[in-house]
Amino acid sequence: METIKRRYVIPGDVITTGPYRPEQNVYQDGDRIISTSIGISEIYDNAVRVIPLSGMYMPKNNDLVIGKVVGHSSLSWEFDINSCFVGFLPAQDVFGRDYSPTKDELKARLDKGDLVVARIANFDRSRDPLLTIQDRDLGKIESGELIKIAPSKVPRLIGKRGSMIQTIELATKAMITIGQNGWIVVSCEDPVGLLKAIEAVKMVDAQAHTPNLTERVKSMLGVELGENNDTINE
Amino acid sequence: MGGSVIIEQLKRERILELLNQGQRLDGRGLYDQRSLSVETGVIPKADGSARVRLGDTEIVTGVKIQPDKPFPDLGDKGILICTAEILPLADPSAEPGPPNEEVIELARVVDRGIRETEMLDLKQLVLIKDKTVIGIFVDCSVINAAGNLFDACSYASVAALLSCMVPKYEIKEELPVLVEGKKSKPPIKTIPVSVTMARIGDHIVVDPTADEQACMDARITITSNSDGNICALQKGGSDGFTVEQLIKCSEIALSVGTKIRKQLAQLM
Amino acid sequence: MTQLMNENGIRCDGRKIDQLRNISLKVGILKNADGSAYIEFGKNKILAGVFGPRDVHPKHMADQDTGILRCRYHMSPFSVTERKNPAPSRREIEISKVIKEALQPAVILKDFPRTVTDVFVEVLQADGGSRCAALDAASVALADAGIPMRDLVAACAAGKVANQIVLDVNDEEDKEGQADMPVAYMPNHGKITLMQLDGILTPTEYKTCLETAIGGCKQVYEIQKKALMEKYFENGGQQ
Repeated sequence: METIKRRYVIPGDVITTGPYRPEQNVYQDGDRIISTSIGISEIYDNAVRVIPLSGMYMPKNNDLVIGKVVGHSSLSWEFDINSCFVGFLPAQDVFGRDYSPTKDELKARLDKGDLVVARIANFDRSRDPLLTIQDRDLGKIESGELIKIAPSKVPRLIGKRGSMIQTIELATKAMITIGQNGWIVVSCEDPVGLLKAIEAVKMVDAQAHTPNLTERVKSMLGVELGENNDTINE
Repeated sequence: MGGSVIIEQLKRERILELLNQGQRLDGRGLYDQRSLSVETGVIPKADGSARVRLGDTEIVTGVKIQPDKPFPDLGDKGILICTAEILPLADPSAEPGPPNEEVIELARVVDRGIRETEMLDLKQLVLIKDKTVIGIFVDCSVINAAGNLFDACSYASVAALLSCMVPKYEIKEELPVLVEGKKSKPPIKTIPVSVTMARIGDHIVVDPTADEQACMDARITITSNSDGNICALQKGGSDGFTVEQLIKCSEIALSVGTKIRKQLAQLM
Repeated sequence: MTQLMNENGIRCDGRKIDQLRNISLKVGILKNADGSAYIEFGKNKILAGVFGPRDVHPKHMADQDTGILRCRYHMSPFSVTERKNPAPSRREIEISKVIKEALQPAVILKDFPRTVTDVFVEVLQADGGSRCAALDAASVALADAGIPMRDLVAACAAGKVANQIVLDVNDEEDKEGQADMPVAYMPNHGKITLMQLDGILTPTEYKTCLETAIGGCKQVYEIQKKALMEKYFENGGQQ
């Protein structure tokens, strides 16, 4: 496999020159390929792109994230956490310090494609972030649907002190877990509620920059102004 | 700065639920203020300045002092004018343009809370009676709006005044001339401290956040002075208070005010 | 009147003719803004906040094909020697316009039709060259907000003081000198996006002044780059 050349860039930085295909967050000027964002440039195959940092998820200690297992060794699982960094969950976080599990035992616990709610246990930019699932509310997600939104939209989905996500949960009776990394899991016993909740989350993602969004989300969910939300699914 | 009506309805339930248990969303007690940090001298070219952070609300205030004409009928007093502006970079909903009624109320309440409380002895700021006096302008720029701009602007104005230096002017041929290098402390008579409370249902909370403001029924700002007297007051919001609540609020304002006054007094 | 330059070519604030004032720049210092920066450029203290892309009000200002850029340059009443009325002056309105036009070529807003990206600059303390400092902060605040940009915009002024072309004119030099030329520059494109002149220059002086200002812009660019790196790439360097 070709090595990928990576570099930190800011808008205006010339990543490379030559016959490359400009992809996300870059543009072509003559034969120069230039970044439009603060991020990490990648030259791979014959293409150039930038993974933006000011829009995407940057791990922070203690952040709740939702990750997907993409691989494992006998020492740890590797997670896609929607970042330019891969998240690592050490085996001992799950098995304890005194036990050395085999690769198969790791696989039996968490396998490729499994979704997990985790916390960033340790991250400084000199190495990849370490995850933990030791707390009560963390661990493998047994049911629900995964939705991906832009990490920069997560605060809008949460709303001030949780007002937006509560609107959705109350209106749909769904349970929604929000990862700071922009990955959201929605579960609901009522299939209609589930669909509505998912639609609401996607609506926030698409329109996060507009005002009066809560009004439109409520309107979409069929919640009227002033009405007690608890009565909506009677 | 306001949230939408929809949020108020929702927030009310959650916040009320917590309030019924004596709690607030950010974990504070009902009568606790957010953390307050005050830095003075941040604008060296001004005659006085302060930067205040009350929780995430952030204000920069500057004091400019220059000779001025006195108000008619008040020729034996200097001039003190306080203003406040919510900068458009303070909040996504703050739009540039002429001030709206909310901003004007803020500015006027801050002004009364300093001037009418007789914080400064304006009689000591006269150069030529009825003709030339010292004019002191205290201007607040809100740079991040996160609830309770009243108190934050008040503390910033007080801090800037307590730490300012008044330039000296001589009269030469009836005109004021600046005497370089000679400055004096301002004539401080009292330290007014404002405390803003919100009524949410039957609960009174001190130093409301933007969320709490968005769902409050009414709001009151009570200013007390160093003598423990109440010297300025403003009720706001679209609902009311009972007499008992108002008395309770005055008690809270005095007790919280005393604490803040200690912190501000160190700036003199 | 101040002596603007002594026999050794040292300026009234101790600088040499090709020396920039001290600059410090911090990114992301405002909580509510989408992107922000705070700059101290000599004695200038300026805040820049960016919101956007976001909805346009009034609606008739919206462009169906692309996002628009709006800019407000404003000075706090206490920012200048004589207290200034808070209402926007004609000078502030003009500067708002030229700053916007300096940033416009750099931002890529075609992916955000019917939106506005607002740039708000507040001068807390002014000391000559505030429009350049404002631009330097605004440019970085835009990048901080994640607005796609072709390049950063770096700005710096040059001028004529005591018959010499000097870099980065301060307040006294601006008031009592012979010419002041603020310039804004997109460093990776060699494009000048703001330029004004107040004063009289010969054709040769004009060229020298422009080159000097661009040299200053390049130095400022390094500071802008470093400030962004500091916030986003803590170790500040290549991966």
